[in-house]
Amino acid sequence: MEHMVLTSLGQKCLQSLLKVWLDFDIEMNQVAIVKRLEQGRLSLEDYQKLLLNLRQQVIEGSRWISRTASSFDRHYADIRSTVISHATEEHRDYLLLEADYVAAGGELTDIQGARKNIGSEALHGFLMYRASLPNPIDLIGAMWIIEGLGNKMATKWSKRINEQFSFDKNATTFMEYHGENDENHLAELYQLIDRVATSEQNVDDIIRTAKVVAKLYQMQLSEVDNV
Amino acid sequence: MDVYINSTGRYLPGKAIDNDEIENVLGLINGKKSRLKKKILKSNGILLRHYAMNEKQETQISNSDMAANAAMNCLDNSYLAPTKIQMLSCATSQGDMVLPGFGSMVQAALNISEVELHTSHGICSSSMMALKTAFNNVKCQDNENALVVASELTSRLFKHSRYEQVENNDIDFNAEFLRWMLSDGAGALLLENQPRPTGKSLRIDWIKSFSHANHFPFCMSVGQAKDEEYKTWQDYNSYAEAEKAGALLLRQDVRLLDNIVAIGVQGFLKLIAQGRVETNKIDHVLCHFSSKYFKSKIFDMLETAGASIPEEKWYTNLYQRGNTGCASIFIMLDEFIKTHDVKTGETIFCMVPESGRFNCAYMHLTVAGNE
Repeated sequence: MEHMVLTSLGQKCLQSLLKVWLDFDIEMNQVAIVKRLEQGRLSLEDYQKLLLNLRQQVIEGSRWISRTASSFDRHYADIRSTVISHATEEHRDYLLLEADYVAAGGELTDIQGARKNIGSEALHGFLMYRASLPNPIDLIGAMWIIEGLGNKMATKWSKRINEQFSFDKNATTFMEYHGENDENHLAELYQLIDRVATSEQNVDDIIRTAKVVAKLYQMQLSEVDNV
Repeated sequence: MDVYINSTGRYLPGKAIDNDEIENVLGLINGKKSRLKKKILKSNGILLRHYAMNEKQETQISNSDMAANAAMNCLDNSYLAPTKIQMLSCATSQGDMVLPGFGSMVQAALNISEVELHTSHGICSSSMMALKTAFNNVKCQDNENALVVASELTSRLFKHSRYEQVENNDIDFNAEFLRWMLSDGAGALLLENQPRPTGKSLRIDWIKSFSHANHFPFCMSVGQAKDEEYKTWQDYNSYAEAEKAGALLLRQDVRLLDNIVAIGVQGFLKLIAQGRVETNKIDHVLCHFSSKYFKSKIFDMLETAGASIPEEKWYTNLYQRGNTGCASIFIMLDEFIKTHDVKTGETIFCMVPESGRFNCAYMHLTVAGNE
């Protein structure tokens, strides 16, 4: 990948975002279902429950992304375009989860009819709230965490799952999908960071949102065992 | 009170062994050449190493004697009489004896009297623990000097005969992996509360470490059989039973290994945020890392974030001296200082990640002394 040069505030922001990601990555090892997944002790029921829970958040994903887009005023028209294209890309991702769920032996009506778990409720609430505020540049922090999670799923989790189980039809399309276009997403994120990390306050806001989103994602995954 | 590394030393047993000779020394498991050796050696890049065993797997020198030799090598290069040593701080993953502690045995081999003794037990980062204890002692003016010694004799664990004890010859990848990674050697550092009268000293600015043992299962171990969850080696009716079950093999859980990069970088970023590290002011990096990790994505990100240190500033002697566990960083520092004409004011950043249960230690040094 071409070496990207960020502004010094952009670099500071990225350093902090990297730390937030790593803290989150390390903390995730405490989440029971993640532990089981990474150590090859996932049951089929576990995997189905994981997909079922993820779907309830993912189906709402494009809501906060499109809300974010509409919250950017004319001075951020360029960012609005980028966010809109993200929304377009991702608003049907939940269908992959549903297909995976069925391939893993689940009933379509179950995954379609399930509610958000407590963590998903909190995460969705926070994202929609922040997305509704004017020019919500802090959501770059949320995008960072989600990008990282997608990468983790594609490079680690999908492999573990396919080592544990063999499905007739591919049941990890959702996780694998996020491994594609990785380099481009990252380059785009770096550009966005440079674009909005224009003050210490902005950087603080971005980091704050990244931290909250990471924590709530953790909660979402912890709650899978409580459903 | 400033603390200085005023002298360094090392001891590497026997001659340098190349990749083709390894199996002569360790022996062939069940008479067969290893199918994994080439792949693992290619990925770790080590070309030469030393063993304290001969080609009959007979131990030629004990761990405590290697430690004593490294210590003498260090003292020979110093201004301090051995009788004046006030503290001895030692580290190893396994001494010749299970008990008493390694420090006691090294002290006896060195024949130094009434020292304040410390033994650190652990894996790669145990030497940094021993060093920090010594550093703190001198820093708070409890002792005027301290001799710190780290030594490893892991080759005894890799003898073919050990693997042949295991029931059903059940040797998995994780049990064989380290055979091609680790080798023997010892390193020593002398700390004093003032720089040496001539030559260069290294002022220890700080040593910090962060352990993530609560977040992960162990990654490198001796003491538990492969599919065992609770029983450990002393829980069996006999050592023989434990050995048969494979509980005494040195294992690495390679799947967990990648996490070491995350924790190492996380600690590094923490230190930057704390203002302890300014990447553009570091002149040299000595890191106990195998080269393949440098290529990982996270290093690209660090570079983009302006938090990386250019590769030309990194020094290692891993490929020529082998991975000697906790002794590595001392052996690296010793060879670095003896082969580089460092200038007063130059800074050295050291990093020792330990995969045992995910600890990472960091140290900042500044070159001091008369030009």
